[in-house]
Amino acid sequence: MDFLALTIAGILSAGAPLVLATLGETLTERAGVINLSLDGTVLLAAMTGFAVALISGNPWWGLVGSVGVGVATASILALVGPVLGRSQLAVGFILTLFCRDLAYFLGHPYARKFGPELPVWSIPGIRNLPFIGPIIGYQSPVVYLSLALTFFFWWWLFSTRSGLELRAVGEEPWAAFARGIKVQRLRIVYTLIGGALVGLAGGAFSLAVKPGWGRPQGAEGAGWIALAIVIFGGWHPLRGALGAYLFATLQVLGIYLQELFPGLPAVLFQVAPFPVMILTLLLVNMGRTGWFKDLAFRYPGLKRWLIRWQVTAPAALGLDFRPEKET
Amino acid sequence: MHVEFQDIHKYYGRVRANEGIDLTLEPGRIYGLLGENGAGKSTLMRMLAGHIEPTRGRILFDGKPSRGFNPSRALALGVGMLYQDPLDFPALKVWENFRLGGTKRDRRDTLSRLQKLADRFHFRLSPEEKVGELTVGERQQLELLRLLDLGAKVLILDEPTTGISVKQKEMLFTTMRQLARDKGRTIVFVTHKLAEVEELCQEVIVLRRGKLTAKLPAPFRPDELIKLMFGAKQEEPEEDQHRHNLVEENFIQLEQVQLLGEKYTLRDVSLGIRPGEILGLAGLEGNGQELLLRGLAGLVRVMKGRLIFDGEEFQGRPYLEFRRSGIHFLPAARLEHGLFPDLSLNEHFRLAFPPHNGGRHKLSPEEGMKAFSIQAKLSTSARALSGGNQQRLLLALIPRQIRLLLLEHPTRGLDHGSGQQVWSHLRERCRQSTALVFSSADLDEIKDNSHRVLIFYNRRLIADRPTFSISVEEMGRLMAGEGRAV
Amino acid sequence: MLPAARLGLSLGRLAASLFLSLVFTTLILLIAGAPPIDTFIILFAGGLGSVAKLAQTMSVWIPLVLCSSALLLAFAPGLWNIGIEGQIILGAIFATGFLRPFAEGGSPLILVGALLAGMIGGSLWAYIAGVLKTWGRVHEIFGGLGLNFVALGLTLWLIFGPWRRPGVASMSGTEPLHPSLWLQEFKGLSLNPVSLALALVAIGLVIYLLRSTRWGLSLKAVGQNPDAALLFGLKPNKRILESMLACGALAGLAGALQVVGVYHRLLPAISSNYGYTALLVTMLASFRPQLIPPICFFFALLNVGSIQLPLQLKLDSSLSGVIQGVLVLSVFLVHGLEGRFRLGRKKE
Repeated sequence: MDFLALTIAGILSAGAPLVLATLGETLTERAGVINLSLDGTVLLAAMTGFAVALISGNPWWGLVGSVGVGVATASILALVGPVLGRSQLAVGFILTLFCRDLAYFLGHPYARKFGPELPVWSIPGIRNLPFIGPIIGYQSPVVYLSLALTFFFWWWLFSTRSGLELRAVGEEPWAAFARGIKVQRLRIVYTLIGGALVGLAGGAFSLAVKPGWGRPQGAEGAGWIALAIVIFGGWHPLRGALGAYLFATLQVLGIYLQELFPGLPAVLFQVAPFPVMILTLLLVNMGRTGWFKDLAFRYPGLKRWLIRWQVTAPAALGLDFRPEKET
Repeated sequence: MHVEFQDIHKYYGRVRANEGIDLTLEPGRIYGLLGENGAGKSTLMRMLAGHIEPTRGRILFDGKPSRGFNPSRALALGVGMLYQDPLDFPALKVWENFRLGGTKRDRRDTLSRLQKLADRFHFRLSPEEKVGELTVGERQQLELLRLLDLGAKVLILDEPTTGISVKQKEMLFTTMRQLARDKGRTIVFVTHKLAEVEELCQEVIVLRRGKLTAKLPAPFRPDELIKLMFGAKQEEPEEDQHRHNLVEENFIQLEQVQLLGEKYTLRDVSLGIRPGEILGLAGLEGNGQELLLRGLAGLVRVMKGRLIFDGEEFQGRPYLEFRRSGIHFLPAARLEHGLFPDLSLNEHFRLAFPPHNGGRHKLSPEEGMKAFSIQAKLSTSARALSGGNQQRLLLALIPRQIRLLLLEHPTRGLDHGSGQQVWSHLRERCRQSTALVFSSADLDEIKDNSHRVLIFYNRRLIADRPTFSISVEEMGRLMAGEGRAV
Repeated sequence: MLPAARLGLSLGRLAASLFLSLVFTTLILLIAGAPPIDTFIILFAGGLGSVAKLAQTMSVWIPLVLCSSALLLAFAPGLWNIGIEGQIILGAIFATGFLRPFAEGGSPLILVGALLAGMIGGSLWAYIAGVLKTWGRVHEIFGGLGLNFVALGLTLWLIFGPWRRPGVASMSGTEPLHPSLWLQEFKGLSLNPVSLALALVAIGLVIYLLRSTRWGLSLKAVGQNPDAALLFGLKPNKRILESMLACGALAGLAGALQVVGVYHRLLPAISSNYGYTALLVTMLASFRPQLIPPICFFFALLNVGSIQLPLQLKLDSSLSGVIQGVLVLSVFLVHGLEGRFRLGRKKE
């Protein structure tokens, strides 16, 4: 029982940065912008967070630094992409490499040092409950934050007027424009908000989940996984969070399996998330292929099963929008 | 509201969509804006709705010029436009669409307001349904309710009757009359159909080739309006095709075919096509014409039934085999789906006619350009061509002697002359016994050019009739699901 | 526009981009507390200072050119072949695997086999990403990226598992190849003529394929408009797979050459991120083949120069990647601003 509770606690903790990054990217992509730079941004934010915490002696300042880096990267993306109309994919990819290298370059002096970590919060009243207590009574603030933000953005996206406007912008920017919604402004705002969350994810790594900085940090590849989870989650905050926890479970399981079967090569567990990532994308996308339609026609049960996994991207995802184009 | 256009010009590159238009609209009146396709009606109205800016000239609202004009400013001033292709959000729900850009209300108020408005006009809309699943008519109704809710003082309706049934049309017209008479709204009704103008409008504005040719009060004289729309002399459609004697046997036969598309399935289609025959497909968007065309081209899966071509079963074969056997398809969105925007015309010819199997039907690019009077250089990119030139290029890229040509909206977006040119070329092909199947939203185009009319409703083929035996009105009724199919 | 004016414009753009990059890089160096001028001197002297250093730069130029040419083939039909990194690695793995039975050495002809094996390995890896895209609708960015990590894992597993050096398994890689299976280098230089020739042939071949063949044209057509390509009977899916195969083959060749020409064994970091760098090169060149060789040279120079940084200034060698990124970003920024400016002028 306790073992199970601790395992779940471990999953919530390991999943927190992934959830944050997934949420951020979900918001950005809902506005029609692809921020491909996640992997680099997370690293740069992790490094900055750790460095700031080390210098200031306060991990909270570090977290602020991480968010700042996320916003800064996103603003470069927003400027070159949506504002100046260059390819979002290209800029995002360049930023991925640039931020990663910049993190290694600037982080050189801080590598393998001990620094402050975010404190663990223990919640009175919950902490002593059986089973629940070990799960959420005693966690890092980033875990609480990731849970709270997931539900917040879920509510916000589907039950508020601004959430509706956000979805509208990502679906039909022209129609949104015709209704007086400030499309370009919203696209930029959500790119920045998304970037802030991605930055937070970086801070969650270096200040809580995988404390410290080094080359490699351990967060490498997490950004790409988050990008895939956004698709797997069908651009829905709850389903996205679920996907993030799925990958976190995989990580935690990996640790156990490694203890159980010391003979298995360790790389197996490091690499395992990536084939899983490909498979999840296959699962949510193959319903649209011709061969699958043939198959589903013959076996209707298959179709019913798969339809639950089908996802549709925001219709204007990655498209350039500028009112002048119309004239 | 009093609206005044002053010397409005709108140029798209070298194309003059509007030229020197001066016009005044008074409150409480219903105006008909009449003109053939491409006359500049939509352009003019989109400027009024703030969607595009005039190249020159200005629009005054109650005597005041508008600065930094855009759709939301237009709405704030009270100008609302119902677009020909609904400008809404298919992925979102009905009530969410109603809420977007509207008055600030919570969910419950939004729903009750929507319900109240819908009841007033006897529209039936279920608020939780996704807009993408509605018919075009229902989407227009929703838009209309939204604009009324916003208190639009000037309502522009851009060809609103293309997607709705006769009964719905009458309802719409009653609504318009009410709004104009009781609430003093200005209504501009954009159309190319004379009958509707006569029925509804108190005043008609005629555009021809971007210029204002007349502004007349009711009653109207149809022959005069036609002259104003098309110019002094109207070209007569070429003769022969109605009397064309088709003796040959069907070379294509569909037996109980079921086609599986991206969005829906078309079931139980049976029909035959003879060489040299022209079939017009009529139906509201999304009712099966698109699927039938693509199914005949081998681009959509035949899930059930048989598709027989020259005595052989073709269902399940790859698209390339259809193409090699002489079946070609031209999509409606020419630049989006039919051409390579940044490749040159010469490269298009190279791609369309591989050197190894060009044979004797092959045209050199120069010959092709000339034969189809494409006005451009071989090094021009497809993107830079006008709509007419794009369609001519696509036709030039199809080998001479093919068996079946499938066209989706062959003259959509073309001006009158280009459209005529396209049709005279197509008829020429039919004389060489190529069969032709085309879809069109313009029922007159179907009436004028086809031998047989196939009508689609509710995702089924409901009628297959010789063209001489059916009137445009009857086609319209059948398309809207009224009256009994024969 | 007059040719002279156009040239002037490109030069102006280049100057503006270089200036911007210089400003940003200096800023970053100041943040890191490094002396900017000294750093730049070390960077450029490290790769240009002597014939030997120049040769070293050229030995980096080779895989970059191979990979950039490969990417031109993938970008033609609009593919983001991020998986190129893994394709290089697979090329290296296949080449190493092919040479393992010849631990006692052998005739140089075996090397031809090793290079071919490398090309097959790269193609195979690219093909998987291609099939995932065409038959599974998994975007090539994710398919390729996932496969990169798998390839990396595969290398590590081989080096620490079945192919480990007798006695010590370590990050320093597998047992070195027998010297008779090393590509012969120019005397006293770390540069071999075979690789150089192959890189030149590759870029020439790619230019020829894209400019003068119907195949190249149909690749571009698929990239422009897959729907129209389908209607034209150009078999877009098949073209996509072909371009992936061709791209993977060149990337695999680059990987194989790293094994037989540079490191003479399989290393965990055998791809040296050249695939990612080549993606930057191709974007910086805006997919124009003639710009590939000079840009590759500049990037190679930065890579080689940056090796000196940790020794002389205690800076991380990733500075080269930072500068490359800044450069491409600056070019995008300048182009974007220019486009904006033009649009603004047109409106008036």
